[in-house]
Amino acid sequence: MALLELTSVSKAFGGLLVIHDLDLHVGEGEIVSVIGPNGAGKTTLFNLITGIYPPDSGQIMLDGRSIVGLDPHEITNLGVARTFQSLRLFLNMTVKENVMAAQYGRTRARVWQSMLRTPFARREEKEIHKLAEERLAFFGERLMGYRWDQQAYSLSYANRRRLEIARATATRPRILLLDEPAAGMNPHETHEMTELIGRLRSEGGYTILVIEHDMHVVEGISDRVIALDYGEKIAEGSFEHVATNPRVVEAYLGSARLARK
Amino acid sequence: MLAILGFAFYDWHYFFGQLVDGLTHGSLYALLALGYTMVYGILKLLNFAHGDVYMLGAYMGYVVLTGLGGSLAPEVPTPMLIILMFGAAMLGCALLGVVIERFAYRPLRKAPRIAPLISALGVSFFLQQTAVLLFRPIPKSYDTYSLHGGQLFHHVSLGNLRIQYAQILVIASAVGLMIALALLVWRTNIGKAMRATSYDLEAASMMGIDVDRVIAFTFFVGSALAGAAGVMTGLVYQNIQPYMGFGAGLKAFTAAVVGGIGSIPGAMLGGMIIGVAEQFTIGYLSSAFQDLITLSVLIVFMMFRPTGILGTPIPQKA
Amino acid sequence: MSDGPPELETTSGPQIGRDEWVARAEERAAGPGSGLDRARRWLNRTPQIVLLVGFAAVVALVPVLTSDEYILRVATDTMLYVLLAVGLNVAVGWAGLLDLGYIAFYGFAAYLFAELASPHYGIHWPLWATLPIVIAGTILLGFLLALPSRRVSGDYLAIVTLFFGQIFVTLTIQGYKWDWLGFGAAHDITGGPTGLTQIDPWRIFGHELTQVRDYLWAALGGFVIVALALTFANHSRTGRAWRALRDDPLAAEVMSMPVKRMMLLAVAVGAGVAGLAGAINGAYYQGVFPSSFGFPTLITVYAMVILGGAGSLPGVVAGAVLVNVLLEVLRTPDHARWVFYVLIIAGLVAKIRPWRVLAALVGGLVAFGLVVNAIVGAVWPRGTAGPISTGVSAFTEHGWLAEALRHWLVLPKNTYELANYQVGNYAFVILIGLVLALTAVRGRRRYLLLVPTIWTAAFVWETRLVEEAPTTRPLLLGAILIVLMATRPQGLLGTPRVEIV
Repeated sequence: MALLELTSVSKAFGGLLVIHDLDLHVGEGEIVSVIGPNGAGKTTLFNLITGIYPPDSGQIMLDGRSIVGLDPHEITNLGVARTFQSLRLFLNMTVKENVMAAQYGRTRARVWQSMLRTPFARREEKEIHKLAEERLAFFGERLMGYRWDQQAYSLSYANRRRLEIARATATRPRILLLDEPAAGMNPHETHEMTELIGRLRSEGGYTILVIEHDMHVVEGISDRVIALDYGEKIAEGSFEHVATNPRVVEAYLGSARLARK
Repeated sequence: MLAILGFAFYDWHYFFGQLVDGLTHGSLYALLALGYTMVYGILKLLNFAHGDVYMLGAYMGYVVLTGLGGSLAPEVPTPMLIILMFGAAMLGCALLGVVIERFAYRPLRKAPRIAPLISALGVSFFLQQTAVLLFRPIPKSYDTYSLHGGQLFHHVSLGNLRIQYAQILVIASAVGLMIALALLVWRTNIGKAMRATSYDLEAASMMGIDVDRVIAFTFFVGSALAGAAGVMTGLVYQNIQPYMGFGAGLKAFTAAVVGGIGSIPGAMLGGMIIGVAEQFTIGYLSSAFQDLITLSVLIVFMMFRPTGILGTPIPQKA
Repeated sequence: MSDGPPELETTSGPQIGRDEWVARAEERAAGPGSGLDRARRWLNRTPQIVLLVGFAAVVALVPVLTSDEYILRVATDTMLYVLLAVGLNVAVGWAGLLDLGYIAFYGFAAYLFAELASPHYGIHWPLWATLPIVIAGTILLGFLLALPSRRVSGDYLAIVTLFFGQIFVTLTIQGYKWDWLGFGAAHDITGGPTGLTQIDPWRIFGHELTQVRDYLWAALGGFVIVALALTFANHSRTGRAWRALRDDPLAAEVMSMPVKRMMLLAVAVGAGVAGLAGAINGAYYQGVFPSSFGFPTLITVYAMVILGGAGSLPGVVAGAVLVNVLLEVLRTPDHARWVFYVLIIAGLVAKIRPWRVLAALVGGLVAFGLVVNAIVGAVWPRGTAGPISTGVSAFTEHGWLAEALRHWLVLPKNTYELANYQVGNYAFVILIGLVLALTAVRGRRRYLLLVPTIWTAAFVWETRLVEEAPTTRPLLLGAILIVLMATRPQGLLGTPRVEIV
């Protein structure tokens, strides 16, 4: 059974149909990429899965359980975590605090317990620190040491993307949704990100659904690729299969032509 | 609803009197609510100072009134006097609104969301205390009962229902101003720019709309309406005092929420609803409850229909 | 948000991360290296517990060092404000919510305490019963009031709480004839405009708190406990969730934090602190009055939190002390004058560089006043015949400062008579115009404009403001909020925030 399964999901804003009758499934341990030209509805897809808005119709199941209508934080607690294409870190908190904050749903200390520093609260706080350090260590030296206590706004662009991933994994998800993890990175960093996504599965054990524009990245990581255009699935299968699909080529060229105009 | 109908049949004259009082009051709220709703529509800013602009408008009218000899012995004919009072208050408030926007809000366009709100709070309090300093905290009276032999408060009879001239004046000029505003917003270029800016500020600025000018103009228009409402308050209710803007502002904002914040027809409708609801509370229950009723209306709308009667939901950007 | 240019990062060597980007961000954060910013960094480095102990020790010693009733009263008032400011900081500083019902919570607590421990109903419950009831009741009120505003943006919270604050005052004033909508006899709940009096003092371990200094210590004790609890909360999952929601509510929600519940909690925890402060208030003043819990008090506490630096506990404590002492100074015209003129001169010396410009400015200022004085004196002798009104020491009628001012300003005979108010009014309006103009011009014009601005400020100060403390104090608070937001929104000791980079 698939870990995440969408059945005939649709979403419209005003008169504009952004996602139309979409079926999609991601199996446990898979890495699936979603590609498509700008405005194809990729980010909306993530917003629907994470509960930022409800679908107009259709069903979204996580591990056999419907998550439609739940609040985003409840969905996260069930094991879905994401990053944002536009980067939404807690800029005025430190790097480490960003990762610690995301463990909210996995911890239990009540506010009065924290105020009184009960043994339970202290123990839990120690675990929060430990997990945060572990998650940051995943990125080698890049987010370690003195960086822990720096405000997130002082990070470079690439490091912000890394911190977003670290923060997402701190919610202890089963499935990670990565929204353009390599956007704005140079070729060297992009290559590193490709490796990193592989490691996220092999070492972290996460199932991954990723939106990506960089075809090298998509080729390098995907078990399966799904192409969207105008909110509809136009192709699905291996990278080679999708990349050579005439409708996909048409969608990209068409949009390229539009962009040039 | 049924209860109100019951009251209506029980004593039709009393009911009608209350309704007209409510609409008079509602006209004032509606004029004020327009200022809130237009500013909120464009800047997403709760302009706490708006009620105090209205209060200063009432004082500007008072200054003109006393400057021209007072109600008992005005130096100009009564219609002229009233027009001058409206003109001075509307223009004065409009300029005041533009100055407030320029100096207290514009520098904070890119600041955290809470910053302009705190600044607005500061402006509100500052204006209130300025009025205390300039005009003393004790109420001043327009004393329009003395004006032209008190004719403003004579009644017109419609069959056996009676309305005061002053009430007709308020309701009619409020409706007139609203029609003028509607024409301005829907028929002129600057109105089009206002709507575009309120729809999407960033996109509007990229399309070559001078957003700063549009925002200043919005404050200009909204504050002028508040000034008119201030003079009307003085004409009908006589007494004005430095703290009158605070409560009126809260209720007008409630009216804007009820109508649908950001919606201009909504503000008019909401103002009337709040005015009538308050008057019925006073007329049929007790004046002690008028504020509570308005707060309850506000809370009910926030919980069950946060977009108001005529508002449209705004999609969240992610 | 735009995709900034992709930054290259040096990947090896000891200078990792010292890239231009970081440097710029640090620069932004550091701001101009003023003394205040150095003080802030020092405060951030020093462990909070050390600061807390130090502050508590100083305050606790006040009654030991002096038995002056006035000083003790001011110190106790200030401690109450400190407590209030620290509580408000939870919603405003950490969670970034505009909680405008805060003073109504404070008032509610004070009234609740008064109902439970005064002759009004003849109930005299002991402190161990009343204090928990009052605090729990206030927390509950906070919860209920924050409940309807379910929009994440927080605007609705601001308006509902502000509205409630307004209604609370009305209800307490009218509460002496409460008649349950006419179903039942009129009944006095709140004592009306004159409030409730003869409230029982606190009694701790058999010791009745009757002296002012007892309440200073009580407020201090309450503050220490609250400050510790809040510091711990701030460094827990709850505190992080508050600050996360302030930075980005949507991201916080997606990162597993229940944003709506966190908002409720922030308002409620703040209300709990207000509850404690209210219970102290009732016993300390031995009475509760509607006028203590209105809009002016709300603005006062906001000014404290914002001036000190919302989000920083040492900051809001400093803000509360500073604002309350300042307001206290304004009560006495003579002290107020000293502060006014010293601040102007200190401001000029600190801000105007180089020295030549400063000297020219001061010279111009003196000359301007003397010339205006001479002209007015020639045309209208009575216009310069006025004395400085009241005061002792250097400002008395023949004190040297008073004489200097008389020849520099234009003080009409009978300055403080009603007929002369008008002049002060015009001058006040002109002054505001000048100040606004100052912010709009640059360079040499600004210096030129500064001369008449300062002179007019002094004129308005002497003819109106200094003698009208009840109006001057709130005017100042409003001005603090406006000016701070435009110039230094992080307050004196707060950390500057970055919104979108």
